[in-house]
Amino acid sequence: MALVKGSNLATLPVPQPARDLATLLADLAAAEPSVRRAAARDLALHPEAAMAACDRLVMEASPSVRAVLFTTLIHLQSPAVAVRLAALLRSDDAPLRNAAIEALQEMPDAFAAHLQELLADDDSDVRIFAVNILGALRHTQAPVWLAGVVRSDPHVNVCAAAVDGLAEVGGLEALADLEDLRRRFDGNAFMEFAIDAAMRRIRGE
Amino acid sequence: MATATVAHLKASSPVMTDEEFAKFCEFFYRKTGIQFQDGKKYYVERRIADRIEKTGSDSFRDYFTLVRFEANGEELQFLVNSMTVNETYFFREDYQFDALVGGILPEIARTKRRGDPIRIWSIPCSSGEEPYSIAISILERWDQADSWNIEICASDIDSKILHEARKGLFSERSVSRVSAQLRSKYFVPRIGGDFQICDALRESIDFSLVNVVDPLHTHRFRNIDVIFCRNLLIYFDDVGRRETVEMFFDALGPGGYICLGHSESMSRMSSIFVPRKFKESIVYQKPLSAE
Amino acid sequence: MNSRGRSEVGGQQPRVLVVDDGITMRMFYRSVLEGAGFGVEEATNGVEGYEKLLAQPFDLMIVDINMPKMDGYSMVRMVRGDPNVRMVPAIMVSTEANTQDVVLAYEAGANFYLRKPVVPEELVLVSRLIAGVPAQ
Repeated sequence: MALVKGSNLATLPVPQPARDLATLLADLAAAEPSVRRAAARDLALHPEAAMAACDRLVMEASPSVRAVLFTTLIHLQSPAVAVRLAALLRSDDAPLRNAAIEALQEMPDAFAAHLQELLADDDSDVRIFAVNILGALRHTQAPVWLAGVVRSDPHVNVCAAAVDGLAEVGGLEALADLEDLRRRFDGNAFMEFAIDAAMRRIRGE
Repeated sequence: MATATVAHLKASSPVMTDEEFAKFCEFFYRKTGIQFQDGKKYYVERRIADRIEKTGSDSFRDYFTLVRFEANGEELQFLVNSMTVNETYFFREDYQFDALVGGILPEIARTKRRGDPIRIWSIPCSSGEEPYSIAISILERWDQADSWNIEICASDIDSKILHEARKGLFSERSVSRVSAQLRSKYFVPRIGGDFQICDALRESIDFSLVNVVDPLHTHRFRNIDVIFCRNLLIYFDDVGRRETVEMFFDALGPGGYICLGHSESMSRMSSIFVPRKFKESIVYQKPLSAE
Repeated sequence: MNSRGRSEVGGQQPRVLVVDDGITMRMFYRSVLEGAGFGVEEATNGVEGYEKLLAQPFDLMIVDINMPKMDGYSMVRMVRGDPNVRMVPAIMVSTEANTQDVVLAYEAGANFYLRKPVVPEELVLVSRLIAGVPAQ
C-alpha cells in the first residue's frame, strides 16, 4: 500500500528539559526563525522576561515570530506590558501597530490602566486606535468609556470610531450622547448614517 | 422572577428582535467564524432561550451583555457548544478531500524528492471517520499515491474515542455516504449491520493521544505536509486559537497546508498562514521560505 | 467585454468587496454602493478579504488600512502578488492623511486613496471610475 505507518513518533528523542532563561533570551536572536519562535513561546513561562519580549518585538522582522511574541505577551499581561504595547500604536509599521491593538484587546484590566492617557493623546490616530481597542474589550466599563469619547473628543474620526464601538457594545444610556453627537456633526453624511445605524442597533430595532 | 419571565418568553414572544438577532449573528461570526444561514433564526433563538434560562438572565439584552463582557469567556463557550452539531461520518465536508487529492497533494509532490515521505495529520480524529476518509480518498483518487510513502497520523485527546478509532467499527449511518463499491473494498461487514475497516488500512494509520495545548505532546509532530483540524478551534478562546495555530505552524514543513472546518476561517485566528483556494475549498499554507 | 473581462452588454451588476473592521463603515458602504447599483460583499479584516477575493470575482475592492489580523497594505500587497486576483482594482481608505501614508498605499498597489470621513458622492464617483463602470 501507498500508506505507511510512520515510525518517527516512536523514535523521536525524549524532550529536552525546559531551557533556562538565559538560553531562551539568546535564542530570541538566533538566525533561524523556528528557533526564535520556540524561544518566544517558552518565554511565556518567565514573567520576568516580559520586557525582553517587548524589546525583541520592535526588532523582529519575521511575522510568525512576532505573532508568537504577542501571544506570549498576552500570557504575561500586566500594566507594564500594556505601556510598551501602547507605545507601538505610534509605530509607522502598520502590521506591528495592528498586532499591538489586537494584543491589547486581550488584556482588559492592564489596558484600562492606561486608557485615559491614550484618549488624551495629541495624535488623533492614537486616540482612534485606543477607541478601536475599546470596541472589542471584554470590560464592563467599555460602553461608559466609549460614551465619554463621544461626548468630549473634538475629532470627527475619533468620534466615528466610538460610534462604531457603541454600535457593537453600547446600551440605551448611550442614546442621548449619540443624539448630541449628531447635532455636533450636523451636515456630515457619514456621521449621520453611522449614528442612525448605531442608535437602531442599540434600540434593537 | 427570571424563570417566570423566560417561561413567558418561551411560550409566546420571540426571544429577540430582528435587529438583535442581526447584532448577535455579527458578534458570533466575529468570534467564531460561524455564520447562520437565513431560516436559522428559530434554531438560534431556541438555544439562546435555553442559555438565558440556564444563566438566570432577565432578557436577551442582559444575556448578551454577559456573553460579551464575561472575562473568562465561559458562557461564550457554552453557547458555541450548544450551537454546533458534533456529527461525524465518512466523507464529511468531502469537498476538502477533493481539494486534497486534486490540488494539495499534487502541489506537495512537486516540491518533494523521491523517497521523501508525505505526512498528513488528522487532529482531532475522533472515532476515526476523518483519517480513514482521507486514506480512502488518497488511495482511490490520487494517481500518484503508489509513488509515495504516505504517513497518516491521527490524534485525539480522548483515549476512549481513540480506542474506537483503532477498532475501526462503524454504523450504517456513519458509512452512508460510502458507495457499495468502496464498502466492499475497504470494509468488512460485521454482526449487527456494522462495518469494520479492513486490517491493512487500520494498521497503516498511526493513532496517538495528543492534547494540542501540551507542547510535550505536540513537539513530536514535525515536517507535516497537511493538517486537518476541523471543528476544534471554534471551541477555543482567542488566545487558545492563536497558540494552537502557532503550534501547527511549527508542525508543518515549509509550504505545508492546514484545512479547517467548513465554517471556520483563519481570519478569526491568525495571519501567519496564506489563504489558498483549491477546487471549492479555502485552505491555508505556511510560506515556502523561512521568513 | 471590457478590459476587466466583465460583460457590459448583459448589464451585469458590478461587484465590490468592502474590507473594514468597523461595522457602521461597512453598513455605510453597503448603503451607498448598493444605491449606486453595485453588488456588495463585506469582510472584516485583510485575511477575510483575501479569502473572499479568492472565492468570487470582484470588480473593485475598498480596503481600510487599519484592521486586525491583516492590515490593508498587507492585504493589497498580497493580492497584487497572486495571479488569480491581482487584477482587482483597489481603493484604500484611511483616517491618516500625510504624504507618506498615501505613497505607501500606492506602493502597496492601490489604484486610489480616500480619506475618512468618506463623502458619499465622491465614493460613488471614484468607485465607478476605478471599477470601470460606464458613466450614467
